[in-house]
Amino acid sequence: MSLRRAIAHRNLLYLLSLKELRTRYKKSVLGWAWSLFNPLSQMLIFTVIFTYVFVAQPIPGDPSGLKNFPLYFLSGLLPWNFFSITTSVAMANVQSGSGLIKKVSFPHEHLVFSVLIAQFVTLLIETAILTIALLIVGQNVLKWLPVVLLIYSLWALFTAGVALALSAFNVFFHDVSYLWTILSQILFYMTPVIYFTVGLPDVLVGRILKTAANWGPTGGFIVAFHNLFYDGHMPAARLLLYLALLAITSFTIGMWIFGRLSPRFAEEM
Amino acid sequence: MADTILTVDHLVKSFRIHQQKSTSLKQLIAGKGRNRFDDFIAVNDVTFDVREGEVFGIIGQNGSGKSTLLKCMAGILQPNSGRVVVFRRMGALLELGAGFHPELSGRENVFLNAAILGMGRKEITARFDEIVDFSGLRAFIDQPVKTYSSGMYVRLAFAVAINVDPQLLIVDEILAVGDVSFQRRCLEKFVEFRNEGRTIVLVTHDLGSVKSLCDRAIWLEHGKTVDAGDPGDLVEAYTERMLGAEAPAADGSVRRGSGEIKIVQIEMFVNGGATAVKRCRTNDDVVIRLHYEAEKTIPQPVVGIEIEILGGATVTAPNTRDVGLVPATMSGAGVIEIALANISLVPGTYDIHTSITDFNRALVYDNLHEALRFDVMTGKPYETGGVVTMRPAWKLD
Repeated sequence: MSLRRAIAHRNLLYLLSLKELRTRYKKSVLGWAWSLFNPLSQMLIFTVIFTYVFVAQPIPGDPSGLKNFPLYFLSGLLPWNFFSITTSVAMANVQSGSGLIKKVSFPHEHLVFSVLIAQFVTLLIETAILTIALLIVGQNVLKWLPVVLLIYSLWALFTAGVALALSAFNVFFHDVSYLWTILSQILFYMTPVIYFTVGLPDVLVGRILKTAANWGPTGGFIVAFHNLFYDGHMPAARLLLYLALLAITSFTIGMWIFGRLSPRFAEEM
Repeated sequence: MADTILTVDHLVKSFRIHQQKSTSLKQLIAGKGRNRFDDFIAVNDVTFDVREGEVFGIIGQNGSGKSTLLKCMAGILQPNSGRVVVFRRMGALLELGAGFHPELSGRENVFLNAAILGMGRKEITARFDEIVDFSGLRAFIDQPVKTYSSGMYVRLAFAVAINVDPQLLIVDEILAVGDVSFQRRCLEKFVEFRNEGRTIVLVTHDLGSVKSLCDRAIWLEHGKTVDAGDPGDLVEAYTERMLGAEAPAADGSVRRGSGEIKIVQIEMFVNGGATAVKRCRTNDDVVIRLHYEAEKTIPQPVVGIEIEILGGATVTAPNTRDVGLVPATMSGAGVIEIALANISLVPGTYDIHTSITDFNRALVYDNLHEALRFDVMTGKPYETGGVVTMRPAWKLD
């Protein structure tokens, strides 16, 4: 029901997303270049730390044979940033939309979806840069791009579900956004963005981390992205099935929670 | 009879008033806090229909539940019980410019705001020029709205809102924006809307516009329907109740003067009645009685009263010198009567100030400011504007 209403107001979604994109870098000299500096600087930091501080050898991609820390980080970091920024900005966007929510009747989901779409556009631009970098070092990722797009869509669906649920709860309890800052940190380290799961020590903590990294909700997606960008092979069929299931479950639950709580937004804000 | 376009059916909306407003997970987990609340019933079992093509007014004091009712009708709030059924495309104007983004240009905001109000992309493109022309801001349309003055902001917002083109328009107190000329254009647009046979639901404190614009009205008090029907009758009953409900102000009178002679009491009688009152109706025969006491003999005193509308202008200020009724002396105690036949005051609250001076009006013996406050209620003729009625005789061919 609420999904149908959301689709009926697709023009609003389009314009809200446009607003997100247009206002993001207003009044800054470098503008859109900033969206590239953030992952690039993170990549640089991780590379320096893992090459000179915690000395580690990058594990070569199989079958690509690629041996490159920065590109390994980037292929997981870009989707991760999409997830983490979308969830936190969506919460803030619903909260700051209180003026609108109290005065106009419209599908509140669009406050979340517009953030999602704007961040997805950013992700696509960043991915284009990553693709160019990979092509320069001789990694032919072009043939995997359709699969990347498919998994990106599942990842967006998964992210949408989490963002919807968090934003809805956050209207009632502002603690949610603070709690999420901590939880997403934990989730970040349980996801193999800055380490190789193969290299984890075979002790209890290492084994737990390895399981979480490979099969945790976010870990599974990042593994698939590493497969495609770094290793250069198709992710396993059961992994793809698992990711699809995760995405649909997350989105369904998120929509259900948001749909249940959003009629009460106007009086809670 | 015209079709029903909106039905409000036994609508109830209550709010929880929390003892502590702050909500945190700690309170939830502790199982406290969230449970401590009172229910405040803002709209209590209200039922009415709005028919196609009519202008429907909602009147009531602040806090009577008008805005809550409107928000339920607009779909912003969910009723606790009862329902609202809307049969046509509805546009609700509860606040102008909701969702305007300061960094975006006027053009971008027009598109965004119109989309928020429910318009499709093609529709907006088709109406864009009309919107810009109505706002009169073509020269500034590509500037960010943060550079707009508040007047420009409101004009653009109203231009968008009025062009949303709904079959049913819900309006909350927004006809009073902008400068006088813009207000007139808004009113014209509004009348144009009505003449096109569209339905309007109007909430306003301006009872004059309820009487002049509305076909039917409903009167809310404490969330309940007091009465519904003809707006003229309703507004009359409403003003009467509102003025009557207010207790006469505590004696705020201030006395000045040398005090050799004083007004010690002031009374008002209506239509030959024997008991003093503080209320009359337009066209009543009113008698003001001033009781005076003098300490010594005062030569040639001039007695005057002044009637002033509450917080406003002096309506009239007669005195005994102007009518050549100055006695040679005045002493002891006595009564002065001023008869005001067929009083011309329109409904409202008025103050009477009294004064006793010497013949040259230079020496003030006694001046009692706000000696009596009284209310004028609806009588014949009935006029909503102005201060006095001139008892006009209309002739229409």
